Amino acid sequence: MTDLLQLVFSGLAQGAVYGLVALGFVAIFSVREIVNLAQGEYAALAGLSAISAVAAGIPLLAAVLLVVPMVVVVAVVLERLCIAPVKRMTPLVSIILTLGISTALKAIMLLIWGPQGRGLPPFPGKDLLVGGVSIRSQELWILGIAAIVGFAVVRAYEHTLLGKAMRACAEQPIAARLVGISPRTATMIAFGVAGFVGAVAGVIGSPVYFSSWDYGLALGLKGFVAATLGGLVSLRVAMAGGLVLGVLENLVAGYVDTGYRDAVAFLVLLLVLLVRPQGLVLRAPAVRV
Amino acid sequence: MARLRTLTVVTVAVLALALAGCAESTSGGNTGGSSGGNGNDNGPIKIGAVLDITGAGASLGVPERKTLEMLAQQVNDSGGIDGRRIELLIEDNQSTEDGAAKAASKLVQTEKVNILLGASRTGPSLAMRPIAEQAKIPMISLAANEKIVTGSEWVFKTAQNDRVVIEKIVDDMTAKGYKKIGLARDASGFGEGVAETFTELGKDAGIQIVATEKFAPDASDFTAQMVNLRSANPDAVVIWGIPPAASLAQVAYRKVGPKVPVYQSHGIGNQVFLDTAGDSADGLIAPLVRMVVADQLPENDPQKQTVTTFINDYKSAYNENPSTFAGHAYDGFMIAVNALKEVGTDPNKLRDAIENVSDWPGVSGVFTMTPQDHSGLTKEALVLVTVEKGNWKLLEGQAG
Repeated sequence: MTDLLQLVFSGLAQGAVYGLVALGFVAIFSVREIVNLAQGEYAALAGLSAISAVAAGIPLLAAVLLVVPMVVVVAVVLERLCIAPVKRMTPLVSIILTLGISTALKAIMLLIWGPQGRGLPPFPGKDLLVGGVSIRSQELWILGIAAIVGFAVVRAYEHTLLGKAMRACAEQPIAARLVGISPRTATMIAFGVAGFVGAVAGVIGSPVYFSSWDYGLALGLKGFVAATLGGLVSLRVAMAGGLVLGVLENLVAGYVDTGYRDAVAFLVLLLVLLVRPQGLVLRAPAVRV
Repeated sequence: MARLRTLTVVTVAVLALALAGCAESTSGGNTGGSSGGNGNDNGPIKIGAVLDITGAGASLGVPERKTLEMLAQQVNDSGGIDGRRIELLIEDNQSTEDGAAKAASKLVQTEKVNILLGASRTGPSLAMRPIAEQAKIPMISLAANEKIVTGSEWVFKTAQNDRVVIEKIVDDMTAKGYKKIGLARDASGFGEGVAETFTELGKDAGIQIVATEKFAPDASDFTAQMVNLRSANPDAVVIWGIPPAASLAQVAYRKVGPKVPVYQSHGIGNQVFLDTAGDSADGLIAPLVRMVVADQLPENDPQKQTVTTFINDYKSAYNENPSTFAGHAYDGFMIAVNALKEVGTDPNKLRDAIENVSDWPGVSGVFTMTPQDHSGLTKEALVLVTVEKGNWKLLEGQAG
């Protein structure tokens, strides 16, 4: 029983990181049909930058507060440079473009930080032992921050005028423009949000899971799988999907074979694509013209 | 329509990501110029090296590259080998087997190197072995697993066999009376056969493996492995991997693993491990080469001179301490250079000269190669080391 709880708990922490990355995919896809394959790179970039900032003597909290906006700026600038100028954006074009961005970012990170993986120092706090289950304070930070950020993003997209306007761009682009919503601005904001959640995932996860130049690839894949659970349009399902994926990976590693851990995400992806490619949301997504 | 569309988008995205993964194993690095041929006795002597410079083996390959570049510079500055310059060609295999095979073929067929060094880890080294054997040129691997050299005419290696590392650990376990061992091992080539060797060597002392857990070299969460080891109730745990995986495993072990002594392998002999494992490394036991505790060695140690010089040179060149992997690169390179000095570039003579290396004090140990043993090191090359407040510490009664 203790083992089960231990596996579930650390799976939740890992899953929260996947969930945040998944939010990034959905934040963009639900505004414009762009699959942003550079999503995982935001996390790696944030983690590595924060490590360098701390090494340069900046206090941990300040480093985190510095790095997250920086990655948001990087995400927005790359959107302006590479996504905005494209006249006829299709999902396929977006995939090719963002794959290029991802590869370039990885190469730059490899040049700057070298090939070795490292971890940020853990956030302050004491590790706990509850009923035989070891709980690292960093895991609590991950869960807490992911919950706050996740809630804020969902709230912003579903309940504010701006969020509704942004999603209107995806559902009725022409009508949205007629009522004065700019799809260009909406896309830019969406990339900013994606950069933000990616950066948060990167800094909170770094003390436990480490950061390296190629960390974004695996993380992006896991986040993407979680996002497909919500058909790439549901924020709530994407976040929950991340948590489920994290726990499932740990249970498979614990009870079946540790070697199958990384296969879990792909099995889930296959199942979703075969059974419910529109995602697990109950309603069918709005019809697009 | 929406359904079909999402399906298409998702499929294309997955394919693209998968391609991105594959694309990472295509490009390659190259240092040094390219000129001359090799049949020519006056041109430069070509030493080719295939290292794990990026990817999971980067913490090994990077210091190895630095060592080779430093040593090639040193040899060239002091007049080269019989007046001939060394041309060092380094390729990155990106820690993959196919990358290693491709790079080795390129060095052997296109560049026509006189001798091949590498790779940093077992898997890629095994991939290079048939290429060296087919071309009939000597190859010196910097990796550990004895499969790399078993029965090979042309392949040598400078990292001690896993077997001698395990002998060293088993000796200590026998002395302390540990019987039930839990093992967490790297799932790649480095960890292969470890459980079997432990079982074989520990039989007489009644040591048996009660649980084996595996982890990918790039794994990030080790809770499941440690929880399973805890359930098996071992007397001691062995973690067999390289950083960062070995460090993360060590951290997870302290948090959720069984409260019993832990052994690590020789795969952790670098500063990266100490940095990334932090406090949780304190008290572990690992059989490492003398280099990591060079300052604690007695003066009469046969390797003291070589090790100290190497550390000083490396420090002044790169402003950091060399790792044990840098030491494997030193040994490989110097064995090659000594053989080249002795007999020139004829592949057959070169091979014989390497096989005849005897009582040569290197950084990783005192080497004696024989036709049966292309590894050259015994368990005497290792000392048991622990970690105390973030520094390596020689355990009592180990050196001399």
